[in-house]
Amino acid sequence: MNKYENKKIILENFENEFSYKKNKSNLNIEFNRIAFIFFIFFSISLIYSIQLIHLGSRQENNKKEPFTHPEKNYRADIIDVNGTYLVKTVSTTDVGINPLEIIDKKHLLVMLRYIFPNKNFDMVEKNIDKKKFFYLQKNIKPSKYNKVMLLGDKSIKINKRLTRIYPQENLFSHIIGQIDDDNQGISGIEKFFDYELKKVKEPLKLTVDTNIQFLIREELLKFKTIFRSKGAAAILMNVNNGEIISMVSLPDFNLNKRQSITDVNYINKVTKGLYELGSVFKTFTIASGFNAGLIEPDTKFLDSKKIIYCDKNRPIREYDNDIPADLTVKEILIRSGNIGSVRIAKKIGVKKHKSFLKKIGILNQIEFDIEEVGRPRPVNWKEGCKLETISFGHGIATTILQLAKGYSIITNGGYDIKPTLIKKKISKERDRIRILNEDVSKKINPILRKIVSTKNGTAKLANVQGYDVGGKTGTAEQPIDKKYSRIKINTFASIFPTENPKYVLVVMLESTKNNKEYIYEYRDGSGFKLKGSPRNTAGWTSVEAAGKILDKIGPILATKYIEN
Amino acid sequence: MKKKILIMSILILILFTSWVKNSSKKIEDKIFDVKENIRLLKTEIEYVLLEYNYLSSPKNLTQYQNQYFEKDLIQIDITKIRELIENNNKLLEKKLIKINK
Repeated sequence: MNKYENKKIILENFENEFSYKKNKSNLNIEFNRIAFIFFIFFSISLIYSIQLIHLGSRQENNKKEPFTHPEKNYRADIIDVNGTYLVKTVSTTDVGINPLEIIDKKHLLVMLRYIFPNKNFDMVEKNIDKKKFFYLQKNIKPSKYNKVMLLGDKSIKINKRLTRIYPQENLFSHIIGQIDDDNQGISGIEKFFDYELKKVKEPLKLTVDTNIQFLIREELLKFKTIFRSKGAAAILMNVNNGEIISMVSLPDFNLNKRQSITDVNYINKVTKGLYELGSVFKTFTIASGFNAGLIEPDTKFLDSKKIIYCDKNRPIREYDNDIPADLTVKEILIRSGNIGSVRIAKKIGVKKHKSFLKKIGILNQIEFDIEEVGRPRPVNWKEGCKLETISFGHGIATTILQLAKGYSIITNGGYDIKPTLIKKKISKERDRIRILNEDVSKKINPILRKIVSTKNGTAKLANVQGYDVGGKTGTAEQPIDKKYSRIKINTFASIFPTENPKYVLVVMLESTKNNKEYIYEYRDGSGFKLKGSPRNTAGWTSVEAAGKILDKIGPILATKYIEN
Repeated sequence: MKKKILIMSILILILFTSWVKNSSKKIEDKIFDVKENIRLLKTEIEYVLLEYNYLSSPKNLTQYQNQYFEKDLIQIDITKIRELIENNNKLLEKKLIKINK
């Protein structure tokens, strides 16, 4: 028997701890990962597809080119206090022709004749024959520009540029000034604010009023002709904040013509011209005395001589021989006494009077908004007779602008002001600094009023009803080569209303001549008329001009600039 | 469940961002257009104002006055103008300028 036959094989299931099981969850993870990544990519692609479809379906807008100021030749506009344009930068188009690129000359000329019927085409043809580029039309109108472009001729060249136009022509020539071909300011505001005008987008707002400027200029032009004056100037300024409402200097020029001005007579006579202004300085002498507390309006100066000598060869005479020997301070100013002014100045002394004139800005060059500013010649106070002559406005030269500033300070309560042409957004009324004693204005203003309102005053012709005008005249011969010539500067410095001054108006006529035909109408209510100017003095020239100016501008100032 | 919420949130945020971006772009375009229109209108008004300033300049007005009205226009005496002021339902007359004798 087989040894294995007796053995029983028992098969039984082997129980092992290890057993294979199909892990369903692991399989799911793998599938979900792939599906998730697929889903993300699908979603992203879907979003982008939607976006693309959406963008594709959008209506294309006619995008306009964003408006930008071409850097070259850009300058900001200049406006007056009412927002009226004084200077405007406009875009202009010039049309030129390059004859070398003309294909059909006859056809081109026919078409151009149709577009520009009033043009001289004989000249155009000659220019074409010269075979050199030329401008057919400058500053072309938009309608004509379109027609020219429709011709589609490649010989037609378009030049677009920015140009500066001055709608008020001559009116503000001395204030605004000029620019050169390279867009650089060469005078006036254009020069002083050159950087700002190139950088700032907003218009530059000035304090001047176009209407008032026009009225003053018209009157000045009229009186320049009447008195055959070489030149004329006027300034109207707010005495409290120094804002200049009008500043006229004649002769002036049309800014649009872009002339090269070389004649000295065209200087700005308000800011640049230095003049010995004569008796208008007597107001400063008396105000200086009031400020120092050395005199009062009723202080008497007795036994004044008709002629005095400050050194052996230099006599000082009265302008009017009828002036009494005994006068109060008030009467000295009203009668415009030279000797009285000298006596007051001597009482004040050099140190105090010099300090006073310096305080009100007469002695030094003024800081202003344009560069054309006169630099007063230094005064040598040690020189013989200097104090005496300065007391009545000789031996010292200054500008009309400084005179206006001085009158503003002595009449506005003694507050310092800075004349300006630029309108500030915030007025600094509270920051005013008092540089003179308060009572100076209280004492001087009624005297200035009397110069205009009384019979003995020298400025009766400016007594315009309703405006409470006060002021002082000055007739001064001008020195040429250290000798006084017959050229006279007739000045009237006025303030109004004297009770509470708001404005200073200075009118100056240069080198006037008598007019035998002019009829003066007295303003004293008598209705008296006088034919012909009796004297070539400020009282008969500048004062009359100032009166007529006030007639015109008074209603505007009273209504438009009324303070509630 | 959390995963689903997370995935859904991401998806919603992606979609929402896309929608916001698209809307803001639309608004930006509109703003650009409006700004450009304003700029053009401003330029236009500047030219109109310039023309008005020139045509109504004192020089031209004086010329028109002389041409069409000759002596029909007269200067009003400023001293006769009165300002009307309302005070407690009463109209008060105030002289525009003080007259000094």
